[in-house]
Amino acid sequence: MNSQSQKVLVLGGGIAGLTAAWELSRQNISVELVEKSCFLGGHSIGFTCKATDRCQQCGACSVEEMLKNVVNEPLINVHLKTELKGLNKADSSYKITLQKSDIDLPVAQITQRANGKAAKGFSKHNNPLYVTESDKNNMGSQCEVDVDALIVATGYSPFDPNRKSTYGYGKWANVITGLDLENIIRENGALVRPSDGQKPAKVAFIQCVGSRDERLGNLWCSEVCCPYAMRMAGSVKHDNPDAQITMFYIDIQNTAKEFPVFYEKIKQNIRFVRTIPVDIYPLENNCLELRHMAEDEGAPSSESFDLVVLSVGIMPGKDTGKISEITAIPINQDGFFDSTSSDLGCFVAGTAKGPGSIATTMADAGKTAFEAMRYLGVMK
Amino acid sequence: MITENCSNMVDISISKDVLVIGAGSFGLQAAGQIAAQGYKVSVIGAKTACARQSGCTSEMLEKGGVNIMQDVSIEALAGVVGDFRATLTKNNEKVESIFGAVVVAPQYSYSPLNAKYGLTLNDKVMTLSQFEAIISSDSEKMKAIQNGGEGGAGANVAFLMGFAQEGEPLLTGRVLKGALAVQNMKGCKAYIYAGNVKVGANGLERLFTQGRHAGVVCFKPSETPKVQQGTDLLKITIKDPVVRSDVELTPDFIVVEEGLVVDKQNLDLCAKLRVDTDLDGFLPSNNVHRFPAKSNRDGIFVVNSSLDATNAALRVKELIGDGTKKVVADRAKVDENLCVICLTCYRSCPHGAIFWQNGAAAISPAACQGCGICASECPMDAIQLGEFTDESLRANIKDAVVSAQATQKDAKSEPTIVAFCCKNSALEAFESAKLFGHEMPVGFKIVKVPCAGKVDVEFIMKAFVDGADGVMVAACHEGNCKAERGNTYAKWRVNEIQKRLELMGFGKNKLTFTTIASNMAKEFACKVNDFAKSLEG
Repeated sequence: MNSQSQKVLVLGGGIAGLTAAWELSRQNISVELVEKSCFLGGHSIGFTCKATDRCQQCGACSVEEMLKNVVNEPLINVHLKTELKGLNKADSSYKITLQKSDIDLPVAQITQRANGKAAKGFSKHNNPLYVTESDKNNMGSQCEVDVDALIVATGYSPFDPNRKSTYGYGKWANVITGLDLENIIRENGALVRPSDGQKPAKVAFIQCVGSRDERLGNLWCSEVCCPYAMRMAGSVKHDNPDAQITMFYIDIQNTAKEFPVFYEKIKQNIRFVRTIPVDIYPLENNCLELRHMAEDEGAPSSESFDLVVLSVGIMPGKDTGKISEITAIPINQDGFFDSTSSDLGCFVAGTAKGPGSIATTMADAGKTAFEAMRYLGVMK
Repeated sequence: MITENCSNMVDISISKDVLVIGAGSFGLQAAGQIAAQGYKVSVIGAKTACARQSGCTSEMLEKGGVNIMQDVSIEALAGVVGDFRATLTKNNEKVESIFGAVVVAPQYSYSPLNAKYGLTLNDKVMTLSQFEAIISSDSEKMKAIQNGGEGGAGANVAFLMGFAQEGEPLLTGRVLKGALAVQNMKGCKAYIYAGNVKVGANGLERLFTQGRHAGVVCFKPSETPKVQQGTDLLKITIKDPVVRSDVELTPDFIVVEEGLVVDKQNLDLCAKLRVDTDLDGFLPSNNVHRFPAKSNRDGIFVVNSSLDATNAALRVKELIGDGTKKVVADRAKVDENLCVICLTCYRSCPHGAIFWQNGAAAISPAACQGCGICASECPMDAIQLGEFTDESLRANIKDAVVSAQATQKDAKSEPTIVAFCCKNSALEAFESAKLFGHEMPVGFKIVKVPCAGKVDVEFIMKAFVDGADGVMVAACHEGNCKAERGNTYAKWRVNEIQKRLELMGFGKNKLTFTTIASNMAKEFACKVNDFAKSLEG
């Protein structure tokens, strides 16, 4: 096979799909990159930098950089607001049918523009930068493409905090998720309360919302939430040294490298309480009362906060079942794609297989691209 | 080495031989995957894994695609990417070999942490490795666990982890597996005393739950358990927060955690290869731009996992290709007539791209990343960058000031501010801020630099002389610089000039240093606005 004529379809334009597409293009393979939303970059393009005076190695800027690589790479052809409709395997290639996807503009990204409300693409490398409702209806590809292999990089869905009804997400303005927090900082340049736009003085992070939850049947640790919350807390504290930040947790999970140094430092700035709060009640001024078992006394206790951040976990992507039906890629007991690689030319990269950080997702996408290229005979 | 010159690009030849240092499973995996691409791989260091199981085929091993040399070590590494010159030694005999790329697969050792619990190792107190060896055998010691309890019943085994160190998922997985194995032995009971249970890896939460369902008891005391070791008695005491009293256990065996240690061998290796370590002393340095597998030196890769190994193979293939590579010829050039070989450039280059040739410093076009730290540090001004010459930067500074002043039509109402923006971070943030319509002062203009490390003292002073009211140097955050220390050099220079401005009675607040990431558009605008305000006030 001549590598110049070879083509791979990458399904999903988050950090896994971007990385896989870029790695393939490094070896002169053409890529059809298919993204169901109106923007590339997935969840992580909306993440904020969590540096203090030092970089905290969160990886958010790597996503920005990878997006820049991809949009400037002529071998990668991008289909926005497009999804997989069908797939036929013919000899050694796939005939893939694409259709316009039907999705809502992401609420968190809506901003006021001169020509009405529009969703914002977060990165300057996204084209278009803004999408209105009417723009949206004109986007999407309806076509057939012939490719030699397929990489599924459809990512995850964040845990729906409404399933933990006692936390009052959606009911109390200042109960937000970690993803909301990312967007708030991207929008305002600092952490402010949704209710009044003021910097909160007392902030609580609740870990394991949806993860490590036997009652929900979620027998996995989402891996990224402890590093995420600690880095975020450190960054918020750096920006506003008067802020008091408490983290409620089961077990603290590590950031990647240099964790012992990082953890010792963060413990000086953040209060750690080993218990998961039971429920949240509203107080005056949109403050919140958080009830939990006191760590040292084993008795019920409560405390008020200005803002509560729910560290929602990584759940299988919403379309996993549908894509599994079309591609015949099996799903594991947790609802993620099975991680065993395929010899039929269908591969899975990134958090579609289970939780992972930006760094591990990029490494996994590299490995998946390698396997796909081995299948194509481009790599041996 | 340089064979052809067309415009400012040159073809250089890259050696197709690759050196892998470390013959553990990840090193051997990388060796196999690289050899499969048609490159000749030499692996040095004591073999601790099976080459075939790690992915090296019989053909590679027999026909020399992968050559494993267990008793060879590296004494020195000179040269640059594509043309590394390694001095290898075997029985005090030295050989110099050329390699296009080097892959380092560090081998770390585990150290027992019993002393941190006040425990002495014996038949009843063992390390996790010793325990694992026992339960995978059929030895007398195994029988002692099976029948070691009271009246010949199964033994109680306590595992200690997470108090002598924070620990990590790999260790947690080993303890959870060990505890479950004990619990599944007839009459045996497993107890885990844990700090943080590191379940942040695939399958561990399920394993943890499975263990608890099987009857493994896990205590998570807030303080390190008190452990007593008598001649016949082991006793572990913790404070239980719920029942508010001491909980005691007298296990028959204690299995104590182990920690990964930084060994001198790896540190020596880093010094030889000029590869930076992280704050804990492990390779490579912690920098998101290097993930996965890259180090501060182009062409030297570090693999600490199976994922890293495959990614290193991708990078090696991309680097070596068919053995030639196009590079920018004049990223940085030394004027041989000005160079006095003071070694400043050699010491300040984060990429190991500088060497000597014909009585002057020379910069390898293959290894140079064009950051410009050397050019700014050179006391003789003997180094010029191709894309960012001092002359063009001076012109850009002048233009920035002139255009900033021109935008203020009426009597000058707002301060004129010039910001030196690193192209990797601040420039991206600035461009985003403009595109997304974040407001910035009208008298604000930027000068693009390849890295904050190329902001000379002279440039900052020139901006003031040309008429700027304020100067900002915007760099990457510490630990995020693609040139490792470009931001640090910039910060030093700014501090130095601030002192001078103070002495001159000019006020140091007219000059500011800030760090920013490429995706911090809003923050960038906020910082500029705050700076403008401080100049007005």
